[in-house]
Amino acid sequence: MDAVIEVKDLVKEYIIVKKESGLRGSIKSLLFPKKTKFNGVNGISFSISPGEIVGYIGPNGAGKSTTIKMLTGILHPTAGSIKVCGISPQADRKAVVRKLGVVFGQRTQLYWDLRLGESFELLRRIYQIDQVSYEENLAVLTDVLKLHDFMNTPVRQLSLGQRMRGDIAASMLHSPSVLFLDEPTIGLDADAKHAIRNFIKEINRTRGVTVILTTHDLDDVEQLCSRIIVVNNGKIVEDGPIGSIIHKLTPHRMLVVELQEPCQDLTTPHATVIKQEGLKIWYQFEKESISASELIAALSQKLPIQDISVKEPNVEDAIREVYKTTATV
Amino acid sequence: MVSTIKHYVSVASCWARLAIQRQLEYPLFLFSWLLMIPIQYFSGIWMLKIIVDRFQALNGWDFPQLTFLYGLGLISHGIFVVFFINTWSIDHMVINGGFDRLLLRPMNVFFQLVASYVNFIGLIDCIPGIIIFVYGAEIAGFEWSLVNIGKLILVLIGGILIRAALFTSLGTIAFWTKRNGSMVGFALTMLERATMYPLSMYPYFLQALFTFLIPIGFISFYPAAEFLHADSGGIDLPLSFALWTPVVGIICFLIAGGIFKFGMKNYESAGS
Amino acid sequence: MLQAYWYITKMKLLTNLTYRFEVFTSVATNLILMLASVFLWQTAYKGGAGSAEALSLQDITTYTILSITISTIFVCDVQNTVYYKIREGQIVTDFYRPIPLLACYLAEDIGEMFSSLLNRALPLVVFASIFFGIPWPSSFQNFLIFLPSCLLSYAILWLLSALVGLIAFWVMELGNMGNVKDSIVRVLSGSIVPLWFFPESVQTISKFLPFQYTYQTPLGIYIGNTSITEALTSMAVQAAWIAILYLILAAGWARTKKKTLIQGG
Repeated sequence: MDAVIEVKDLVKEYIIVKKESGLRGSIKSLLFPKKTKFNGVNGISFSISPGEIVGYIGPNGAGKSTTIKMLTGILHPTAGSIKVCGISPQADRKAVVRKLGVVFGQRTQLYWDLRLGESFELLRRIYQIDQVSYEENLAVLTDVLKLHDFMNTPVRQLSLGQRMRGDIAASMLHSPSVLFLDEPTIGLDADAKHAIRNFIKEINRTRGVTVILTTHDLDDVEQLCSRIIVVNNGKIVEDGPIGSIIHKLTPHRMLVVELQEPCQDLTTPHATVIKQEGLKIWYQFEKESISASELIAALSQKLPIQDISVKEPNVEDAIREVYKTTATV
Repeated sequence: MVSTIKHYVSVASCWARLAIQRQLEYPLFLFSWLLMIPIQYFSGIWMLKIIVDRFQALNGWDFPQLTFLYGLGLISHGIFVVFFINTWSIDHMVINGGFDRLLLRPMNVFFQLVASYVNFIGLIDCIPGIIIFVYGAEIAGFEWSLVNIGKLILVLIGGILIRAALFTSLGTIAFWTKRNGSMVGFALTMLERATMYPLSMYPYFLQALFTFLIPIGFISFYPAAEFLHADSGGIDLPLSFALWTPVVGIICFLIAGGIFKFGMKNYESAGS
Repeated sequence: MLQAYWYITKMKLLTNLTYRFEVFTSVATNLILMLASVFLWQTAYKGGAGSAEALSLQDITTYTILSITISTIFVCDVQNTVYYKIREGQIVTDFYRPIPLLACYLAEDIGEMFSSLLNRALPLVVFASIFFGIPWPSSFQNFLIFLPSCLLSYAILWLLSALVGLIAFWVMELGNMGNVKDSIVRVLSGSIVPLWFFPESVQTISKFLPFQYTYQTPLGIYIGNTSITEALTSMAVQAAWIAILYLILAAGWARTKKKTLIQGG
C-alpha cells in the first residue's frame, strides 16, 4: 500500500538575528545585524501508511510544529522532500489542502464573527463539497460531537470545549483523508477529552482517516496512537509501535509494597528500592529478569506484607527517558 | 476556468451576505459614524468655499470645480473602503499568524483576504461623496452623457485599483519587517490631500511624484481636470485621462499582486 | 498622593518612548497635513489676492504650523480610554482604584503630552522650519502670554473629552461620540481655517461656544493678531469655560458613578 505521507531528509533552516541590549547594541543590530543559522528541523524522514494513528511528540522547540507546518504547506522546507497523498505541498498547495483536515488547538479555524453553522456553510463553498455529502457529514458530525446546542452561537462566544468540537467538525466536513491535530485537547475537561478521543477513534475506524496527533497530553497518545514518533533537537529519536518503544525505553516495572510493621532489611537481589515513605516501599525490577509474582513470593518470605500493587511504565515514563538521554544543549 | 470563477463568486457572495447580516445586527453603533462623516466632509467643502470666496480660485480651480473634485475623490474612497478594507489589516494578520489559516484553504490567499469582509459601513462615506459630487457636477456644468458616465465608471474602478495597490504594497512590507507598523493613517492622509484637493497646488516635484511614482493623481485629479477642462498643473499627458486611470489602476494592481505573492513566499520560508 | 500621579505620568512617558515606529508615522502624517495646508494657503494668497487681509501669508503659515504642532500636544485620550473600557466592561475595576479615576486619566494624558512634546511637536517644528522658515511668534511678550493660554486651551479640550467619555456611560450603544465631537471641534476651533475668515453670523455664534477658545485664541496671540487687552479678555473667557465645564463634569461624574456602581458596570 502506498504511503499516505512520505517525508525524506527534511531540513528547515532558520536565521536568527541576535539582538544586543542597550542603546549602542540596538543601533548596532539595526545597521550590522548578526545572523546565525540554525536548523529547526535537521534531517527528518518517515512514512505513514493510510489508516494509522500516529503520535508526533517531543519537547517544546523540538521541531514538531515546524514539521507539521511543512506537511500542511504553510512553510517551505529548506531541503528534503514531502509527499502527501502523492503530491508535494510546495508544488501544489491547493490540491494537497483539499485532502487535509487541520486542527490547531491554540488557534481556531472558524470565523470569529460568524455563527458556527455559518462557518460550516462557508467551508462547504470553499471546499466545493457537494450538497449530499455535505449534509451527510454535517448530520453525523453534529450528532457525534453534539453540536446542536450551539450551532447558532457566534464562535467568539463558545466555550473552549465547544470551540474545539466545532473546529474538529469543521476540519472533517470535506472528508479529508488525513487529519492533523495539534494539541486538540489542551485546556479541556475530562468529559470533553473523552468525547474527542472517541470521535477520533471512530473516524479512524469507520472512514480510515489517517491521524497525526501532536500533543503534550500523553494520555491522548496512550489512548489513541498505535505508533509514536519522538522528535528532539530537530531529529527523530524514536519511531515505532507504542508498546515496543515503551518496552525498549522503560523495560522495568514498579512493585509498591505496604508493610504491616517497619523492617530493617528491605533489600533484595531481584529489585532496587526506589523510594520509601513510612511503611510504603517502591521496588523497581526488570521485566526480563523476574516476573511480578516471583518477586512478590521472594519478598513475602522476608517481609510482613500488608498490601501490594504493580505499576506498569507508561508513555510518560518512556518519554522522560528519551528526554534524559538526548538532553538539549 | 469558468468553474473556478463560479467557485470564487460563490464564496465571495457568501461572505458578502454574511457580512451584511453581521453589520446589520448592531445598527445603533453606526450612529456616531453617521453623524461624524457628514460633519467632517461637509465642513471640509464649506471651508474650501470660504477660502475661495474670500481669496480667489485655487490655481484656476473655482468652487464648482473644487466641489466636483472633492466629491469624486470621496466617492472613490468610500467604494474602496467597502470592498478592500481588509488590505489595512495585512500587518496584523502577519503578526498573529492569520495567514496560516488562509494557506490551509484551497483558494488564492489574496482573494480570501479581500473578499472575506465587505464593509458596508463604508457606504456612509459614499453618501456625502455622492451629494457633493452631484452638486459639484451641476454647478460646474458637467454633462451627464452616456459617454461621460462610462468614463466616470472607468475612472472610479481605476481609482479603486490604485488605492488597493497602494495599501496592499504597504501591508506587504510587514512580511519582511514582521512588525506591527501601521502606515494606513499616513497613506489615508496622503490620499485625501492628493485626491480631494487640486494636485496643482503642490510643488512640481510632488506633482511628479504623485503622477509617475505613486500615481494617485490619476485617482481623481487628472480625470476631474479632463472632465472640466481645468488646469492640470505642470504635467501634460496625451489622450483622455479616463483611459489612463483604469490602465494605471490595472498595472498598479498587478504590481501589488506580485509584491504580495513575493511577500507570501517569504512568509512561507521564514515562518512567523 | 502626588507621587502616585507622577508615577502614572512617568510610566506613560517611558512606554511611549518605545513606540518609535508609531511616533514616526504620526509625525509623518501630521507633516503631510501641515505641508498640504500651507501649500493651499500659498495658492490662495497667490498673486497678491490676500494683500487686504489682516493676516499675511506669513501669519497664516505660522498659524497653520503652530496649529498642527499644538494639536499633537493636546492629548485627550481620556475619551477613547473611557469608551473602550466601558465597551470591554473593564471600567468597574478601575473604579476600585484608590485614587480618583478621572485624575488618573488626566495624569496619563499629561504623561503622553510630555512625550509628544519631545517626539512629535519638536520634530514637526524642525521640519516646518526647514520648509517654511522658523515660525517665530510676533513678539516675545506675545509668546509669554501664548503659553498659559495654551494650557487653558488644553484644559477646555480635556474637559470636553472627559464629558464625551461620560456620555459613553449612558449611551455606549451609539458608538464613540468622541469622533463626532472631534469633527466639530476641528472646524469651529479655527484649527484649520481661522474663524476670522468665516462669515459674520458664524463668528457671532462661535463667541458663545467654547471651541474658538481652544485653538484660535492662543494661536491668535502667538501671531499677534490680538492686542494684549483682547488676549487677556479671551483668557478670562477661557477660564470661565473651564469653570463651567468642570462643574458639569463633576455633577455628571457623580451621577454616573452612582449609576454604574449600582448596576455593576
